[in-house]
Formats: sequence, C-alpha cells, structure tokens
Amino acid sequence: MVFLSRTQVIAAIGAVLLVLYVLDLVRRRKLSEEYSLLWLISTVVVAALGFSTPLLVWVSRELGIVQENSTVFAFGLAFSLAMLLHLSVRLSRLGQENQALARELALLRHDLEESGSGRAPAAAPAADRA
Amino acid sequence: MSGLRVLVIIPAHDEQESLPATLDELRAVAPGLDLLVVDDGSRDGTAGVARARGVRVLRLPFNLGVGAALQTGFRWAVEHGYDAGVQFDADGQHDPATLEALLEPLRAGRCDVSIGSRYVQRSGYRAPAARRLGMVLFSGLVSAVLRVRITDTTSGFRAYARRVMEVCQHDFPRDFPDAPLLIALGRRGFRMEEVPVRMRARRAGRSFYTLGTSLYYPYKNLLASLMALLQRPAQP
Repeated sequence: MVFLSRTQVIAAIGAVLLVLYVLDLVRRRKLSEEYSLLWLISTVVVAALGFSTPLLVWVSRELGIVQENSTVFAFGLAFSLAMLLHLSVRLSRLGQENQALARELALLRHDLEESGSGRAPAAAPAADRA
Repeated sequence: MSGLRVLVIIPAHDEQESLPATLDELRAVAPGLDLLVVDDGSRDGTAGVARARGVRVLRLPFNLGVGAALQTGFRWAVEHGYDAGVQFDADGQHDPATLEALLEPLRAGRCDVSIGSRYVQRSGYRAPAARRLGMVLFSGLVSAVLRVRITDTTSGFRAYARRVMEVCQHDFPRDFPDAPLLIALGRRGFRMEEVPVRMRARRAGRSFYTLGTSLYYPYKNLLASLMALLQRPAQP
C-alpha cells in the first residue's frame, strides 16, 4: 500500500483504535447504541480515507482540496461538529427532563406533606427559624 | 402451581382511545389477574380512563420508551411479590383469551419467558417486505445463538417469571426490548418458549415503532445483539 504521508497513516490507525474502543464501551454498557452510531460512522469514514489512498485522492480532487491530508482532518472536524451539535440537542432534552422531574417532585412533596395530617408543613418553617 | 400471582403490565402512551376497551376486555376474560397501567408520559387522558375503571396507574413524568415503561412495571411487580408479569399492549392487538395459553408454560415450570408468537402458526398477519426481512434476520440470529426456535422476536406479548423480572428491573433496553434482550436473557440461562397467538389490528393510536425509527432500529438491534453475544454471561 502506498501512503501519501505519515499523518495519513497516523489518522487511520487512530481511527481504527477509536472504533475498537467505541465498540468496547458499547459492550461494557458505558455507551448506549444510540450514541455509538455517529462515532462509528465518523471513525470508519476517517479510517477508510486514511487506509485507501486512491479513495482519498479521488475525494480530495472532487472537493477541490489540494493537500490530501486536509481531507482526512476535514472529515474528522465535520464529524466532531456533528457530534457536538448532537450532544447539545441531547443536553437540552436532558435539561427539560430534569426540570420535569423537579416539578413532579414538588407536586409529590406537596401531596405527601398534605397527607401527613397537616403537621409536616407547619413543622418545616419552624425548623428553618431554629 | 396454579396459584401463581400474575400482574398484567400495560405500557400506554397516548392510548385513551383504545385503553378502555382493552381494560374492559381483560377484566371480563381474565378476572383473576391484577392489572397495572404504566402511563409513559401521555399527554391525553390515558391515566384518567384507567383510574376511572379502578385500574392502578403508574405515571412516568415524561416519555421514556416502551422498554422503560415495562421496566417500571417489573419493579412494581417484584416489590409487590408477584410470581409472573405479562407484557400486554394497550391498543387491543393482544387477545386476552390467549393469556392462559401464554402463562401455561410458566405455570408448568417449563420456561422463564413465554413469548406469544404470530408465526408459529398461520395467524393471517402479513408484514411489509422490509420488515419481514428484518424479522427473518433477527429470528435466525436469536434462534442460532440460543438454540431455541424463536420466530417472533418483536412480539410485545410475553410473560416473564419473577426471577427474570428481578434481573430486568435493573437492566432492560429503554426503547426496543426485542432480539438483544432475548439473547441477553438466554445467555443468563433463562429458558424461553413460544406460544402461538393471534394478533389483531390496533384499535386506535400510534405504534411505538414510527418511520424515524425504521432506519435506526436494525442498526441498534444488530449492534446490541452482537454486543450481547460478546458480554460475559452472568451466572444466574
């Protein structure tokens, strides 16, 4: 196999190691299948570009990129951005769910204190003053 | 063995249209079984129509997915001393008349998970071609791995013995409790058996399986199945 540069090989090997690590994380239930999808696509694409010089040259020419190395890293960067956006969306949903849980908890606490023969609500402020 | 305490767990998401008829039919056909509706973050009157019929309802504060709703039911069943739990659809697809046939292998002690299958016998159910391909693929995978013929990996009509629910209350897929779950349970040493059942058309409401999931579903289940194979089987 002919490689254009050392960085191409490093990127490809790095991507393969990352694929194996992602799969191991899924296996050990540290990463859910849902999140693995984007990681696996991105690392497989970067590895394919890194190991197949003809593919890399062709993609670079089609995209008008002069330096083939940049193509590998451009793809890596594009996937990183996609991953960050995906995480932001997830984080937003988690925040909303977290709020919903807190609201639910407030309602539950109210019901619990009401059902506790009305003693608990009166006792709480007293404890605060003391 | 007939004194099995059985809880029928009914995950429901926006099912106020079909749930009343489902509950009424269950009450009429299987009066000896306790019912539990797990309202999976519904925005309609799902919890209300169930409570109006005197059925116990657990309400999740937001939509978690059918697996998580079922898991909530498992936890409740384990904490309240049930010997078996039945997964039952709210939309009327499952026929309460086949509940006894589904529970029979559990009562006889022949298996730990009893699966109501559409395909063991001709049941008039025809799926779209792409879905049939997936069914054949996952059924073949599960059957080969577990060395038990499982024809219907996506069946949502199953009965679980208490020891299975004890495991599942801690570890259960949130979205699709299908092929990977069966592989994981089989690798833990739980025995499975299929029971032929008829499935009917849903009364109303939407399926848990939407168009958006149709692409993600094969990927997730294939990966999760392979990972379930690579996981060291826990000692039961």
